[in-house]
Amino acid sequence: MKILFALMLVISMSFASDATIEVIKKVESLPTIAVEDSSISYDDTFKMKFFKSLIADLNVLSLFNVDRHYLQTHFNDTDVLVENKDMNYVLRYKMYEDDNGALNVELKLIKDNADVLVKSYRIAKQDVYMFVSHAIAYDINEFMGAPSIEWIKRKVIFSRIVESKKSELIIADYTLSYQHVAVSGGFNVFPKWANKQQDAFYYTSLDDEKPTLKYVALNEGTSKSIIASDGMMICSDVSDDSKSLLLTMSPNGQPDIYLFDIDSKKYKKITSYGGIDVNAQFMNKDTIVFISDRLGYPNVFSKKIGSSTVDQMVYYGQSNAACSAHGEYIVYKARESSNAFSNNTFNLHLISTKTDFIRRLTATGVNEFPRFSKDGDAILFIKNYKSQSSLGIIRLNHNKNYLFPLKHGKIQALDW
Amino acid sequence: MNKIVISSVVTALLVLSGCSSKEPVVDAPVEEAVKAPVQEVAAVKTETVSDANTEVLGENGMIDSDSNEMNMANLEKDMQTVYFDFDKFDIRSDMQEKVSNDAKLAKGAASAFTIKLQGNCDEWGSDEYNFALGLKRANAVKKALVAEGVDASRVTMVSYGESNPVCTDKTKECWSQNRRVDFKLLP
Repeated sequence: MKILFALMLVISMSFASDATIEVIKKVESLPTIAVEDSSISYDDTFKMKFFKSLIADLNVLSLFNVDRHYLQTHFNDTDVLVENKDMNYVLRYKMYEDDNGALNVELKLIKDNADVLVKSYRIAKQDVYMFVSHAIAYDINEFMGAPSIEWIKRKVIFSRIVESKKSELIIADYTLSYQHVAVSGGFNVFPKWANKQQDAFYYTSLDDEKPTLKYVALNEGTSKSIIASDGMMICSDVSDDSKSLLLTMSPNGQPDIYLFDIDSKKYKKITSYGGIDVNAQFMNKDTIVFISDRLGYPNVFSKKIGSSTVDQMVYYGQSNAACSAHGEYIVYKARESSNAFSNNTFNLHLISTKTDFIRRLTATGVNEFPRFSKDGDAILFIKNYKSQSSLGIIRLNHNKNYLFPLKHGKIQALDW
Repeated sequence: MNKIVISSVVTALLVLSGCSSKEPVVDAPVEEAVKAPVQEVAAVKTETVSDANTEVLGENGMIDSDSNEMNMANLEKDMQTVYFDFDKFDIRSDMQEKVSNDAKLAKGAASAFTIKLQGNCDEWGSDEYNFALGLKRANAVKKALVAEGVDASRVTMVSYGESNPVCTDKTKECWSQNRRVDFKLLP
């Protein structure tokens, strides 16, 4: 009996960390949480904005059953509101404006009438309140002992098509509540953060004589051209040390993958197939995954840089035209119907290079441009469904997707 | 020139105080979406679009109405767009005549100009692959022009992926109009 138990334990442990395994059964219901506002400054509209942002963040944590009723109380009241007496947790906060006009938030998490977490936050401008809300969610996640969600504090950069051959590059938070137009005017696509600090980015300008890769340093407010190519020029990925870029270029009309060294400005051709090779992503320093039509349809392949061997990574899907990699995991976009003349469904799928499992991550619409978070905990993607473009976030370990719609325009590409 | 609006990026200017007590960790079981709060969440303000000045240089600025430019614009109209099949970049047999006509113009009346081939795709995908498809289409037209005697050095290419549609309806006719290569003449 003991042996059997030990065996089962080993088996369950061995599967525990595999993100391709979808956990369907609810093992235990989630703890409940309610939010109480004790703010003294600010008008009702702003109070409600902040409340909604906090509720959204708490939902995305996927750790709680979040009560969405807006209730107000005094910060120092010892008891939680009667409506919330059955809640496992109550999050109470107080916003106030200080003499410098900064937004301050005091917060406590209450469980069984005891303050189990007490924190305070300050941000210089009121209109970037959502970053406080994300920071609160981050801290609560830490407090609950869940795996870190560093991504919640990161910024997303995306290109929005506003009309034919016109786009904007926008820096946003992951919920799109904060949006700052970083480059406007012209036709600019495929923005990509240049480093982990997110203080610079690359993008493709299609307004010049040739498609040109440009670099913007946000702190200095400068922009410069890096390299140009006839036909196509896209920065697909940036190495962890920010020193190398994976580019798709086509100097002779042939889209291939190149490795570009930032310091020496030299590039090296990585693929040389006569069809289409694009969308290269570093799996690690020496290996890339990329999209190629070398089997007659787009699919995901991998290659060691410098080697001539190419491995097929995906065996499911008729048209797998985009991918992102994190360690052993690859997320890719697959066309689910081969009908050229009806509304196609494109879904995202997750595979592990170490197992044969495939997990479907989305269900409806056109889901594309998947990008792993730096820690691999979440996947950001674009969903286009019924003329609505949204930013989606997939919490892999929680089997939940959240959508944040864009009010107008269409998201072309993104990075975070 | 693009107007570069540099963001005074919000580098989380958060002053965090320490947390002290450590509560027993509540099990965080995984579960399927229960009551889909997502849509409600979306009620969070989702956009603050600036009315940023989107003025750019005009369409290659037709500033001078000098006869050469007029001539160029007229010739451009005479060059015929080449259309493609779904997910394909080979030139269809019914498009051969158009390409031959374009080659004739390129060698004749338009011989003084550079030809920019603009590859385009339908709306099925904003990814790099779609851009590459547009490029392969432009390249197929380039090869056909060169085969008919047009000097390769006069031809440049760009792909706009799905971002330059001429038709935005959700119909197969519309999509087929977007899978195309347009001609642009440059001095």
